[in-house]
Amino acid sequence: MLNRRALLKLSSVAASSLLLPAGLRPAFAASGDITIGAPLPMSGPFAANGKFGSMGTAMIVEEIGKVLDRKLSYLEIDTEGKPATAVRKVQEAMERGVTLFSGGILSSEALAMGKEVAKGKGVFITTAGADEITGSECNKSTFRWSVPTFGAIEQTVRPLIEQLPNAKRWYTITPQYVFGDGLLNAAKAIFKEKGIEHVGNSYHSLTEKEFSGYLTNAMAAKPDALLILNFGSQSSDTLRQAVSFGMKNRMTILLAWASGLEQFEALGPELMEGVYFGAQYWHGIDSPFNRELVAKVQAKHKMNPNYAFASAYLTTKILIDAAAKAGSTEGPAVIQAMEGMKYAGLTGDEEIRAADHQVIKNYYLLKGKAKSAMKDKDDYADIISFGKSFQSPEQAQCKMA
Amino acid sequence: MNRASLHFLLAALIAIALPLFMRSGTLASEVLIFAMAAAACNLLLGYTGLLSFGQGIFFGLGSYAAGLTLLHTSLPLALALVLSAITGAVVATGVGWLSIRRQGVYFVMLTLAFSQFFYFLAYTFKDITGGDNGLLNIPRPAIGPFSLGDSWTYYGFVAVLFLLLFAALQRVASSTFGRTLLAVRDNEERARAIGFPVRDFKITAFAISGAVTGLAGALHALLIGVAPLSNIEYHMSESILIMTIIGGTGNLFASVLGAGFYVIVSDLLSSIWPRWLLLLGGLLIVVALFMQKGLWGLLERLVEALPMGRKSSTKSSIEAPIQPESQGRGI
Repeated sequence: MLNRRALLKLSSVAASSLLLPAGLRPAFAASGDITIGAPLPMSGPFAANGKFGSMGTAMIVEEIGKVLDRKLSYLEIDTEGKPATAVRKVQEAMERGVTLFSGGILSSEALAMGKEVAKGKGVFITTAGADEITGSECNKSTFRWSVPTFGAIEQTVRPLIEQLPNAKRWYTITPQYVFGDGLLNAAKAIFKEKGIEHVGNSYHSLTEKEFSGYLTNAMAAKPDALLILNFGSQSSDTLRQAVSFGMKNRMTILLAWASGLEQFEALGPELMEGVYFGAQYWHGIDSPFNRELVAKVQAKHKMNPNYAFASAYLTTKILIDAAAKAGSTEGPAVIQAMEGMKYAGLTGDEEIRAADHQVIKNYYLLKGKAKSAMKDKDDYADIISFGKSFQSPEQAQCKMA
Repeated sequence: MNRASLHFLLAALIAIALPLFMRSGTLASEVLIFAMAAAACNLLLGYTGLLSFGQGIFFGLGSYAAGLTLLHTSLPLALALVLSAITGAVVATGVGWLSIRRQGVYFVMLTLAFSQFFYFLAYTFKDITGGDNGLLNIPRPAIGPFSLGDSWTYYGFVAVLFLLLFAALQRVASSTFGRTLLAVRDNEERARAIGFPVRDFKITAFAISGAVTGLAGALHALLIGVAPLSNIEYHMSESILIMTIIGGTGNLFASVLGAGFYVIVSDLLSSIWPRWLLLLGGLLIVVALFMQKGLWGLLERLVEALPMGRKSSTKSSIEAPIQPESQGRGI
């Protein structure tokens, strides 16, 4: 049996073991600063994207420095790639007065964070892929820079069909969840319209790593083109295995939702040569804002900006510009300033559609280059075409509350 | 003061102290929610010797049950929580009934397989669960006249439930049933030979653990307004197990320590270094190699090392930690 003294000692040790971090945690910003929250997956499987996103946010905050006569700072929030952690940390940031957020690379965490920020009447701009963000789950506080699945397919499959009139038989490989189905349905609509024969589709799970079975099915169907509709490491794995099966020489391959430079660095020119890719951003885009950004990033970080970096830079800038325009960091005022905002963006002239908070911007069709044709180490691809394709807010099923 | 009262007092002390020292009501609530889940896991691991990777199933299903009830019916919050606990208990009974047919590594493999099975069910039935996007827009309704909108008010609600459940689990652990579980853990064959219905006892332990974990999952879904797919992933089982092991499997309060340590240290480390999971992995290695009694064992040693603690320690009845891997036959 413990005596009273021992109990008191034990209690104090137990309590202090839990409570120590609260005292150790550094204050994230001096009072009076305008703090931009950057909820990004800094650890876990998507940590590389988070790192570049954080660099992009840091760069624009440092560059602008001050807005509304108040110093700008940013709060890096590690979502760990988990929606629950993301929401909890965003709640905490809002309790500490942060109202403006730019981040959320993964769809699941972005959707959840968007809801949370809306509850607190803040503003959240994201580059996540799920159509629901500006579709069926749209809300007053959430904005999305990236093009939804409809536009990604319209700006890759349609121009490629026009370029390759003899490619009449297409096979698709699709991750079986909402995002994959969004891409697949958009592709099927174009196939139907253009009289293309959809010779088969292989669904796979979100955790799949081995695609040889699906590729064998694809080869058996003898398609003229293979449309890969997964993303990230899954799309890289699918492409690697397809190339090792010799499919690149037998058919045209299109990877409709590529991550851009960070993915191309992992793939390398040998795999990429002759393969088509869809991309939200490419550092070779010929727009004044992008040229300026590329020069700045090269000077500061000795690298070219990738998608995570560039998009975080721009989305954070949009928030800061909107706060300046609104003369306030209060959520409703910033939202009003953002709705309908037109600006010179990374992909040329961009506009935030007021009805569903979707940024209207270009999507790109790229083609992988041979190693011998590369002008520098990052010159993996040429831009073949680009354009803006978006469903109406009604088609996207956005009912803004 | 007996051991159970001491542990309850310490748990109450933690519940009272968290709001005084922590800035975030959300983080504080998460500590207590995972403390419930870890204590429920401890009932299986520490008291019954069952290393279950199925805890994530019950946690995730509890989240979905609460979310679906509140989204699609007008049932009150209390009933939604009860339904979550029942869901956890029913599924745990099924998982337990099938898994305990095998022992050792095969038992672990079966719970892992169930974990994957339920994950893919949740992933596949996206119209019900929201699939990869999670079940969104889960409301946090008032309970009677009390609105739970504010994070600290919600913490108060969670804290009350936590203490009630902790006391209930203690009651279970110290009952004849709980003592029999210890006997089963220490020597299953002997317990069976004496005439205990070992299988029924194990299944009941699973059901109780599932009910508490399901309720913890429901409270988590209400906390964040979402029931994410990650709540039912095997990583959730892994996290709950790690919390239980870090705390120590000797008693239920150790799980509270383990959960608090895991949640707060993860939060702290992730704000310092993106590779914080490496540190957590290192810590687990240290616990496994040198601190098999977990944090609770370390606290005991600290108390004994202090001058005024030495005298009392000779009479201390803080129980020896339970090491199912070495002692139990039925992992």
